[in-house]
Amino acid sequence: MAPKKRIFPRQKVCRFCADKSLVIDYKEVRTLRNFVTERGKIIPQRIYGNCARHQRKLTDAIKKARQIALMPYSGPTQL
Amino acid sequence: MRRYETIFIVRPNIAEDEIEAITGKATATIEGDGGIIFRINNWGLKKLAYLIKKESQGYYVYVDYAGVPASVAEIERIFRIDDRVLKYLTVKLSDSCDPEKVKEQLANAEPEAVPDDENIEDEESETANEE
Repeated sequence: MAPKKRIFPRQKVCRFCADKSLVIDYKEVRTLRNFVTERGKIIPQRIYGNCARHQRKLTDAIKKARQIALMPYSGPTQL
Repeated sequence: MRRYETIFIVRPNIAEDEIEAITGKATATIEGDGGIIFRINNWGLKKLAYLIKKESQGYYVYVDYAGVPASVAEIERIFRIDDRVLKYLTVKLSDSCDPEKVKEQLANAEPEAVPDDENIEDEESETANEE
């Protein structure tokens, strides 16, 4: 039996913890855009390695932005 | 007093002075209940991310204020009745606020820019999709 290959994923650091100047605000769509797919789905925290606290704030912000039509619920922005 | 911010979207075919009238009505309600308006930002005509009442564009108005919960209920009631208002969103920023301190902070901080319009980027992505 071959020894199990252990793959250590590169340690990801939460972007918002590393850079304190980045603020999560539902009005700043430009920042939020980076954390949704093209279709407007929220990207899970395991992809970018956001910490739980910031991911939570991020999802709250995205959902607020959706309510006031700054971001789409689904689909790209163009109509 | 609590600090709130309200964003509301007005139909695009409405004249500027009518938007001002709607804003004025809302601010008068807040001030009538002893609230204080910190700033009113007119974001202008923006593309909506999805259709609201069959409109694809809307005028965004942002109001930052301190007030009592009753005035929030009242302005939301007015918005709901008013057909010209497509949608509104009120967010509580803090449970208690000192109006003097907030004013000082806002005076020291740089004037907040209107959120960037995404239209330029959107157009780029549109062309990319077509290719």
